[in-house]
Amino acid sequence: MPSESVRATSAREIGFRIGDANSRPRKVKVIALDRKAAAMVTGLASKTWNGAAFFTATGLDAPAPQAGGFAMPGWLADLAGRARNIVDEVAGADVVVMIAMAGEDAGAASLIGEACSLRRVMTTALVIAGARTGDDALSASLALLRPWALMLVIAEDIDYIEDMLVALRA
Amino acid sequence: MLRQEHNELLTRTGPGTDAGKLFRSYWLPALLTEELPHDDCPPVRVKLLSERLVAFRDSGGRHGLIDEFCAHRGVSLWFGRNEECGLRCPYHGWKYDVTGQCIDVPSEPEESGFARTIKLKSYPLIERGGVLWAYMGPPQKQPALPEWEFATVPAERRFVSKRLQESNWLQAMEGGIDSSHVSWLHRGELDSDPLFRGARGNAYNLKDARPVFEVVESPGGLYIGARRGVENGHYYWRITPWVMPCFTMIPPRGDHSVHGHFWIPLDDENCMAWSFDYHPTRALSTAEIAAMRDGKCVHVRYVPGGFRPLANKDNDYLIDRAAQKAGRTFSGVSGIAMQDASLQESMGAIVDRTRENLVSTDNGIIMARHKLMRTIKAMVEKDVTPPGVDVAHQRVRSAALVLPPDVPYREGAREALSVRPGVAPASV
Ligand code: FES
Ligand SMILES: [Fe+2]
Repeated sequence: MPSESVRATSAREIGFRIGDANSRPRKVKVIALDRKAAAMVTGLASKTWNGAAFFTATGLDAPAPQAGGFAMPGWLADLAGRARNIVDEVAGADVVVMIAMAGEDAGAASLIGEACSLRRVMTTALVIAGARTGDDALSASLALLRPWALMLVIAEDIDYIEDMLVALRA
Repeated sequence: MLRQEHNELLTRTGPGTDAGKLFRSYWLPALLTEELPHDDCPPVRVKLLSERLVAFRDSGGRHGLIDEFCAHRGVSLWFGRNEECGLRCPYHGWKYDVTGQCIDVPSEPEESGFARTIKLKSYPLIERGGVLWAYMGPPQKQPALPEWEFATVPAERRFVSKRLQESNWLQAMEGGIDSSHVSWLHRGELDSDPLFRGARGNAYNLKDARPVFEVVESPGGLYIGARRGVENGHYYWRITPWVMPCFTMIPPRGDHSVHGHFWIPLDDENCMAWSFDYHPTRALSTAEIAAMRDGKCVHVRYVPGGFRPLANKDNDYLIDRAAQKAGRTFSGVSGIAMQDASLQESMGAIVDRTRENLVSTDNGIIMARHKLMRTIKAMVEKDVTPPGVDVAHQRVRSAALVLPPDVPYREGAREALSVRPGVAPASV
């Protein structure tokens, strides 16, 4: 008698695996933290996604409209330039992906990070740092991102983002 | 998830495939040196990248890796007579040298030169560090000999083993860079395995089962760092290097030897998990070697006479539900290697990656796939030499160390992650 494990892994048995969906669509919010990252995200946003939404946080330091009583108001812009409340956006997210260019101002990470930790939303940060990026520039970005990113990727170029979003079913 | 066409691209390594071409750019571990222990010893069957071969060591000590089947009527040369500088087919006596050149066809007059018209496919096979390495790519692109540190230290500092894994290479390799499973599947081993226990870093691990990961591109592939907070706001880092296409190394613990792997495709549904242990600055002790032979840590015990693990599919990996219930093992399977292999084989020969639901902590795996795809594209379209061929990419180490909070580890651990002859590994 072949063992349970032998039978279960035969080519024939593999054909009986259930094909129904095993997850519901995930809400992934991609937020560019600086101007250079924003430029990269814009191109990506025009592709077809399963509901991924793209934002920039570059206007976070500008005066924001009054947010309803929340102690930590902050505003994002969607790609059409409309203001969006960070807390509202984060509250509806399964994953927040922050994208930063090493050496650029990633100061928005703390506001976004706080909103995520308040709502228990998983945060991933992607730092683009080419082989020639200085260590100081990178460590400045890390100092701002490490406290808030539960997963951090330092990639040499931007083409990683697309594969990552596909892999995450964004 | 991974699109089906990408899954096909990365998992098929036979002749003519793109990932096969990638693997054919490197020296690959093919046999343990001890499998061909002396001149004129029995030949050994080898399967690599979906090609059936036979390896032998001739009367002059030269190693050959040639097409397994005799050019006359297709007999396996595993039955061959290894004698007088060649392997002779036992059926009608045709004889081949280590390059696959036929040197004798007894039925034909020698002067006819007929033997010279017959040649079996062959690949160079060289010895280094207790391993026989094969290169299966075009001769004009044959790279410099491998310089992985474990293969360059004196023999008494090293132990190498291999085991058959009945799954595609990629799901095995992905286990090697999937740091987030260690705190779960292998949690029992941290205290109990003689080749792990006692290190100060183990307490950091056990205190914090949810490390934060940081994945960084490196010239040869990737670093996957797992960080845990320790005293003074510092971070305890465990850094795993991955070098293309399939070299991984486990971060060290205390003064234990350091372990690592190659995941080599035999065919699309089987791979060889190569496991090495070495210490850069000291000989391994008799007790350590005995533990490794006994299947501890990354090694296994075997079904006698081969490289199939003793705990395997046929016996349901000797699963022990009482041990699982009692928490002695997390999955019920004992030993790190078979804990991994049993689960990876259970996925099916080639796992269907379109049904995965990857999460953020899988970014090491996502990035490795991304880099493999990018490398294959550049190699196929622009003839770019893949990372990992350059021996400088092979001079890497894993590391375990404590760093201040703002330091990028590719900077703070730069020395720790590179081979420094005569210097012990960075370890906690
Ligand atoms: S929890 Fe990871 S495969 Fe099931
Ligand atoms: Fe494992």
